[in-house]
Amino acid sequence: MGSRLTAPAWATQAYGKWRKRSRAWFAAGICVAAAVLICAPLLMIPGGSLMDGAEIRRILSPILGEGKGFAAWHLIPVYPTIDHFSRLLIESPAFYRLFWNTVGMTAAILFGQLIVGLPSAWAFAAFRFRGRDFLFGLYVVLMLLPFQVMLLPQYIVLQKLHLYNHPAAVILPAVFSTFPVFIMYRGFTQIDAAVLEAARLDGAGELQTFFYIGLPLGKMGIQAAMVLSFLEYWNLVEQPMAFLEEQAAWPLSLYLPQISISQAGFAFAVAVMALIPALFVFALGQDALEEGIAYIGVKR
Amino acid sequence: MRWRSKRLLFLLPGFAGVMLFYLLPFLEVVRRSFLKSGNSAFVGIDNYRAVLENGAFVLAVRNTFLYMAVGVPLLMGISLILSLLLRNLLMRRRLVSAMLLPMAVPAAVMVLTLQILIDRQGVINGMLTKISEQITALPAFEAIDYLNTEWALFVVVCSFLWKNTGYMVILWLAGLAALPKEVEEAAQVDGANRWQNWHYIIRPGLSGSFFTIGMLSVLQIFKSYREVWMVAGSYPQAHIYFLQHLLQNWYLKLEFDRMAALTVIMSLVLLIVCLFLQKKLG
Amino acid sequence: MKKKGRIMLYIMICAMCAAFWGCGDQEEEIPMGRYADREVELPPGTFEYMHPCPDGSYYLYGMDTELTYVDAQGESKGKDRSWESNANIHVKYAVGVSDEGASVFAYTPRFWNDEEMEALWIAGDIRYLYYYVDEKGQKQALEPHGEGYEKATNLNTFAFSPEGELYAASDHAVYRVNVGNGEVESLFATGEQVKSIVFGGDVMLAADDGKAYFYDRAEGKLLGGSSVLDEFLSSHSTGGLVLAVSDKDMQGNVMPDSSKNDGDGGADAPADSEGGGASGAGMGDDGGNAQILYMACRTGLYRYIWGGSVIEQIADGQMTALGDTQRSPRAMQALDNGAFRVLFDGNYMVEMYYDETLPARPAKELTVYSLEENGWIRYAGQLFQKEHPDVLVRYETGMDGDNAVSREDALKNLNTRLLAGEAPDVIVMDRMDIEQYADKGVLRELDGILQPYLDDGILYRNIVEGMRMTEKNKIYSVPMMVYLPLWLGEKTYLEGEDSLEDIIAGMEKARQKHPEGAILYTLYPKDVLLQTMPVCLPAWTSKDGSLDVEKLTAYYQAVRKMWEIDSAGFDDAGREAWQKNNMEWYEPEDMDMVDIGFNFQYAAQQNFGETWLQLGFLMTPQVGMTGIHVNKANMAADWQEKELEDVVTFDAYTGQADNVYWARTIVGLCEQGKEPELAEEYMNLLLSDPMMRKWWLDKPRNRSGLTIRKDSLDDILDIDNIEFGQTMGFKDPTGINRPNFWPTEEEKQWLYQMMEDASCCYRPGTMLEECATKVGVRVLAGELTPEEGAKEVERKMAIEMEE
Repeated sequence: MGSRLTAPAWATQAYGKWRKRSRAWFAAGICVAAAVLICAPLLMIPGGSLMDGAEIRRILSPILGEGKGFAAWHLIPVYPTIDHFSRLLIESPAFYRLFWNTVGMTAAILFGQLIVGLPSAWAFAAFRFRGRDFLFGLYVVLMLLPFQVMLLPQYIVLQKLHLYNHPAAVILPAVFSTFPVFIMYRGFTQIDAAVLEAARLDGAGELQTFFYIGLPLGKMGIQAAMVLSFLEYWNLVEQPMAFLEEQAAWPLSLYLPQISISQAGFAFAVAVMALIPALFVFALGQDALEEGIAYIGVKR
Repeated sequence: MRWRSKRLLFLLPGFAGVMLFYLLPFLEVVRRSFLKSGNSAFVGIDNYRAVLENGAFVLAVRNTFLYMAVGVPLLMGISLILSLLLRNLLMRRRLVSAMLLPMAVPAAVMVLTLQILIDRQGVINGMLTKISEQITALPAFEAIDYLNTEWALFVVVCSFLWKNTGYMVILWLAGLAALPKEVEEAAQVDGANRWQNWHYIIRPGLSGSFFTIGMLSVLQIFKSYREVWMVAGSYPQAHIYFLQHLLQNWYLKLEFDRMAALTVIMSLVLLIVCLFLQKKLG
Repeated sequence: MKKKGRIMLYIMICAMCAAFWGCGDQEEEIPMGRYADREVELPPGTFEYMHPCPDGSYYLYGMDTELTYVDAQGESKGKDRSWESNANIHVKYAVGVSDEGASVFAYTPRFWNDEEMEALWIAGDIRYLYYYVDEKGQKQALEPHGEGYEKATNLNTFAFSPEGELYAASDHAVYRVNVGNGEVESLFATGEQVKSIVFGGDVMLAADDGKAYFYDRAEGKLLGGSSVLDEFLSSHSTGGLVLAVSDKDMQGNVMPDSSKNDGDGGADAPADSEGGGASGAGMGDDGGNAQILYMACRTGLYRYIWGGSVIEQIADGQMTALGDTQRSPRAMQALDNGAFRVLFDGNYMVEMYYDETLPARPAKELTVYSLEENGWIRYAGQLFQKEHPDVLVRYETGMDGDNAVSREDALKNLNTRLLAGEAPDVIVMDRMDIEQYADKGVLRELDGILQPYLDDGILYRNIVEGMRMTEKNKIYSVPMMVYLPLWLGEKTYLEGEDSLEDIIAGMEKARQKHPEGAILYTLYPKDVLLQTMPVCLPAWTSKDGSLDVEKLTAYYQAVRKMWEIDSAGFDDAGREAWQKNNMEWYEPEDMDMVDIGFNFQYAAQQNFGETWLQLGFLMTPQVGMTGIHVNKANMAADWQEKELEDVVTFDAYTGQADNVYWARTIVGLCEQGKEPELAEEYMNLLLSDPMMRKWWLDKPRNRSGLTIRKDSLDDILDIDNIEFGQTMGFKDPTGINRPNFWPTEEEKQWLYQMMEDASCCYRPGTMLEECATKVGVRVLAGELTPEEGAKEVERKMAIEMEE
């Protein structure tokens, strides 16, 4: 169609810039919206933790099977109370023990997973050996097996090892879980094989390759594995329930009373206390981990 | 020899533990799948036959498959789009943390929240009713009993997406970060458009991640069981009766033999799928 | 090269497996010697306090009993305290006695004699008053005063030092009190109320629920504490913790100063160390002999060497009287021969002595499992333990307290153990699927054990037979107690055959007469189900195990009708108010709603005029029966038509099933149990008369149910067997405790007849019940029609059948 209009160069440039920026805003907008959508239901938790039982009962009475209409949740309590927190933090010393149990357990598991899982993941990613694919497939399947099935045979193993009812009964199987191996493996495979080959030709030992090349390049995978493991084990329910008889050794996740609306406020308060460390981990942990890995890489 | 054995040492400690805590137990499951629960008599493949001929098994397989077929692609797609949008943003880390929050909520509270939201007289129905009252153009809204009708699977998928999107975004971001930046930049200079960028650079670069994230999505599907169970009980609406309901109910009835057989069948299927995908993508 | 590597791999794996698999299965020899206990007979009176004297004698003191001295030989001599009975004393709150017999106590005056005092007390302006009585019995009022002592402070704990100095503690400090002039010297502040004060030489130890304070009386300064002890106190204080100090070990030998080698003192003791490291409190190194602090609580007897950092358990609570959950220890005396006297509440004292002929822990173990805590079973364990000192009864509960463990989780854990071959010996099958466990060979058939009881007519045969599994024609479990369904109301409402239709008819009649308010005692739709399902559920399963949908539909129709009639008396606000009024003592999921005897009493008292028909279960023989009478009388009184008392009546009610009984504490034995003979003996103990009868006479208010042993039930309902002072508390106008609502002979016979007739077993917690309740709530809420509801249940049960 005839002559094409050509915009002046500055205009194209400006348009390009605008387009880029608007795209960025658009992307940011979608992401923020998604994050808000995901977090919105959680806004019930802080509010709920400050509501007294009567208020919760009143606003939830339709759900309790009585009253017409619909439950209406308000985010800010009408009569705020700190009863649930004082019951949790002051009247029940067990809370602190369980809290530290959870912290200890999670820390031990994460640390163990690093020690054990990293080399395994590296081995799968960097070496070719016979049966590797099959073995790795096996790892994946073992990761996917539901706990309900493994409960009985793991119990038998733990009994034989005299670990039943000892925190190690939860920690050890978690440390050897194939889950972090699987995630960290992904991080390592993205390392160029040529780089490894070059390192080997330069006469770097296996350990050196691992520390100098593997760790720094696989850090995103390690980071992801640790964050996801943390989430997984911070709220671990089934394993401690099955393998720890001694309630003194239980983690916080088992402290929550069984879901009943009458206990909702208290449950929300516990959730707040469980969420706070998670927030810390998100805020600080990711950076620390990144730096830590970089540091190890440099030092070696 | 020196090299080989050293390499072995990387894998061995981990493998020893896996062997002890996972592989041996799994072999025990395999063994028990050929025995009768209770008196431990050898019954050959009777248990397998019992499983495959079981009506509840058929229902559970169908439901689980449907759940995966809907849940896994949706989760992977949504999280991939989000991570592509996120990866150049400055506030990336904060947004990802926010998306991860539902993961950090204890399961019991998660379930409580869900109950308040999706009850027949719950908050969501309340809001929808209000909206339909405000906007007269819309037809009158009839409160939906989400957990006791066909909506149940929809609700389960939604809560699955809600909880796991952040999880998968983290993994996608890890995959994206490992893509060499230079290639993309060079392509852009060469005038590649977004689609080309995605099709020729990002997608091939992520093929391994597809495998990982797909498998982890399946894992999360299995893990979401406890919440489904806490919300809907051991015998939920027929559309959300999954394999794990079956497993758990069998366990409660002391039918470990059938459970074991079902597990072996499941593992074989998973192993085949896994090896196949690995070949294809890894 | 490759091959070598692989071989190495195999070798390592094999070695590891062998190392892990082989370890630890060997038998170990059990060392000898542990604490046993025997009851000490107490002089007449009710005692709550004991003061141990160093020579082995002790003083006993009760809140309303005189000070009594018991010498080392166990001879008791009352001390002359005749002034006490006419003293103006309401309640003694705290007492302290010295070695010489001087005493001090805190009290509040009798209110009804002194209105002014009562007003002050209510206003909170009054504090305790104190008396000091010297060793000769001279009484004088003690008025504490001094620097740093506020007038409003209450002294709750007293202790005399060996020298006769008086120490006292309030909820925030410890004081030295001059008994002569009441001058008080504040020694140190404490975080909480100090509960016990003991003396070891110059050092005084004051312990509250979370901290131990060591105070050097000579130097007048607080010494460093012990973190081990603090931790111990905070974790062992619930249920009572008593302290005693001695310089003797368990064999009565003088304890050498062993602060340098902790926990090595009684090397042959079955010691179980907790803690470690060194964080001494810096004591016990002055006089040569180490002071040992002995601590007794529910979990056992512990010792702590002053200045040490280890607390050792020297006796397991479960194997001694300490483990008795019905009692808390009040005071302890360490004797020179290494024995201990422990006074419990409930006027009970034991002497714990070290018996070297007993194995340190019983060679045999009997494991009893129940899903939920069961007081009667725990009690049985203690009785059994007493009869068999060589057996440790381990009572385990699957779900205890407020935590995330659900019934399914608990059952999963139990099944894991069963499948792993570690079955308990005895299982209490309440809320468990008995058929399933019997089918899978977990349960042992009991016909043999039960036969003699049935032949001699000791048990209600019909109830035992109700548990017979139709398929195998065997009995696998016995309910030790049962609940019986009862309804209560005006005679005109209770006509007919007592079926669901009759209940509806009765409700309609009541509704005509009382157009407003509730007819049944129901707050939520669920309550209607709770009150009617037990008498209907057994009828829904046909002989072949399938669900009878018609019956279920009929049931839903009936309960919906009942709920409609009941709701017709309220508008929305009215029901909300009615719920709110009752919420205080009503807990959803609780059984209060169906306990007709006991809690309905409250219901009637508080809300009468609002319930006209009561459906429920008789859960307690005496209190239940008398409760019904109280209830009846209340109904009549509240209607303000006294003569109505004759019109109000109660009777058994039936739903779709006839002669229903609610089985409770259903006990089964495990086929794989490790101690089959012991389990049998345990079963015989459960079925024995003392077990059933004593439990009810000791604790008349528990809700275990009506015993299935005929003679025990008769004994429990025999008015002569009841100590009314402790149990009922109904006062007649003369002020003597006596029940004025005791069942008549006729009513007793009626009750026995009901027991004879009960033949249809209802067991709560079945899958069908769970489904039917969930769906039933929706039916009552109008979300489903009864037909749809029944279909829905059928669908869910179909999946269950398929599995």
